[in-house]
Amino acid sequence: MRRRRTRPYIAAREPGADHDVLASAMIAWRGPVEALLTLSLRGLARRCPAAFARLGDHQASTYLLAPADMPIAFTLAPHPQHGAIRVVRRGAAGVHIARVSAPLVDLLALFDGSLDADAAFFCRSIHVEGDVGAVMALHNALESADLRLVDLLPLPAGHDAANAILAHLMRAARRRPASGWV
Amino acid sequence: MLRAAVEAGADSVYCGLRDETNARNFPGLNFDRAELIEATRWAHGRGAKVLVAINTFARAGQTDLWKRSVDTAVAAAADAIIAADLGVLAYAHEAHPRARLHLSVQAAANSSDAIRFYAEAYGVKRVVLPRVLSAPEIAALIKETPVEIEAFVFGGLCVMAEGRCALSSYATGRSPNLSGVCSPPEAVTFDRSPEALTTRLGGLAIDRLGPGDSAGYPTLCKGRFDAFGQTDYLFEEPVSLNAMGLLAALRTAGVRAVKVEGRQRGKAYVARVAAAFRAAIDALDRGDDTTRFERQLTDLAEGGRETAGAYRKTWR
Repeated sequence: MRRRRTRPYIAAREPGADHDVLASAMIAWRGPVEALLTLSLRGLARRCPAAFARLGDHQASTYLLAPADMPIAFTLAPHPQHGAIRVVRRGAAGVHIARVSAPLVDLLALFDGSLDADAAFFCRSIHVEGDVGAVMALHNALESADLRLVDLLPLPAGHDAANAILAHLMRAARRRPASGWV
Repeated sequence: MLRAAVEAGADSVYCGLRDETNARNFPGLNFDRAELIEATRWAHGRGAKVLVAINTFARAGQTDLWKRSVDTAVAAAADAIIAADLGVLAYAHEAHPRARLHLSVQAAANSSDAIRFYAEAYGVKRVVLPRVLSAPEIAALIKETPVEIEAFVFGGLCVMAEGRCALSSYATGRSPNLSGVCSPPEAVTFDRSPEALTTRLGGLAIDRLGPGDSAGYPTLCKGRFDAFGQTDYLFEEPVSLNAMGLLAALRTAGVRAVKVEGRQRGKAYVARVAAAFRAAIDALDRGDDTTRFERQLTDLAEGGRETAGAYRKTWR
């Protein structure tokens, strides 16, 4: 049986990206955002161990999530104990298992399962490069966890009101025309 | 996703175990034994049925995996096992004579003789028809058939030789029939350039999409190729089945259950499609028109396009 191993996705540097003022400001302030998101990720790992188990070997992988409308990107290392989210420049070089690019609101909607990933792929609003199996495992793990937007924040369980507000804001944002760096 | 389907109004939900015994063996998908037991208990608590797909073809010398899956489905109190392989059906029938068996579309049973064989030999109670028959052909078939008939009404379409396709196997060495995956994701790559997105399967370029083009699944059957001086889809176009407009005809024909493809899709798809068909079927029960539900799902369709497929056979 022929099995084809997928090579890690190696992000290329994007000319000019380093000079973006907005990106520089975001990178300068990345510390609190990274701490917050990493805390949330590790909380999810404690609350939803079965979802992380679905990642299999990809628990040790690092994904690059690149909002198409932002000058920065996020690296996601979904390890159950040592998971971390980092903010990087959009064009920064790095080795990742895969890169997923879509408008930020679509990435958020994929996180809480309110957007169908296949439909987003059909209409080309989402782009995947690298190991497609790793991306599929991540997507199925997210789907199985029944996450809400509020789970991005390191809050105790509950917070229905906070989630309702976030979901409302996201729906409003998704109705706006997209712009971006792609 | 099982919960999303039930909460949206599905009467029954198909699922699979996390191995090669089901035809949606994708990374991170499906249940382990404990999850299947818990999911079945949850569904039964809400009056819904759980149907376990063990619908790949067991490999010589490795049939224990398929037998174990049958045993697991029975132990989990699944309402039915859906299978295609003669050996799997025989094992389930002999080892668990009280288990309800459905025949998967993978068996491609499209004649009353074939269906009668499965019913008599293995006690099959329901047959999922391959997507090759027109609505009048289904009506004629049901008149000669001793078991319940189930028909697909929404979702992805396969080349019209279900259970017998070797395209994925040719390109990647893995197939839905034996491995549970068509176009295994580790064999798929997307290469982006400013001009186009090139989809490759097992290293073979199968499509090149311009900026405005809709995409389909990265399968050989949905690929575009150069032939006889033009570039086009050689096998089939990326398009989804939507037979909502035929619900009344299928019911009149005697179809007992309708099925939505897409166990590999997400909650958003499952919830919307299940809710739309629940509403349409309920409208049908009331004698209401179902037209208003027919265009609700186009954005979920492959390539953003829908077809009634073989049910209408407009090419004849």
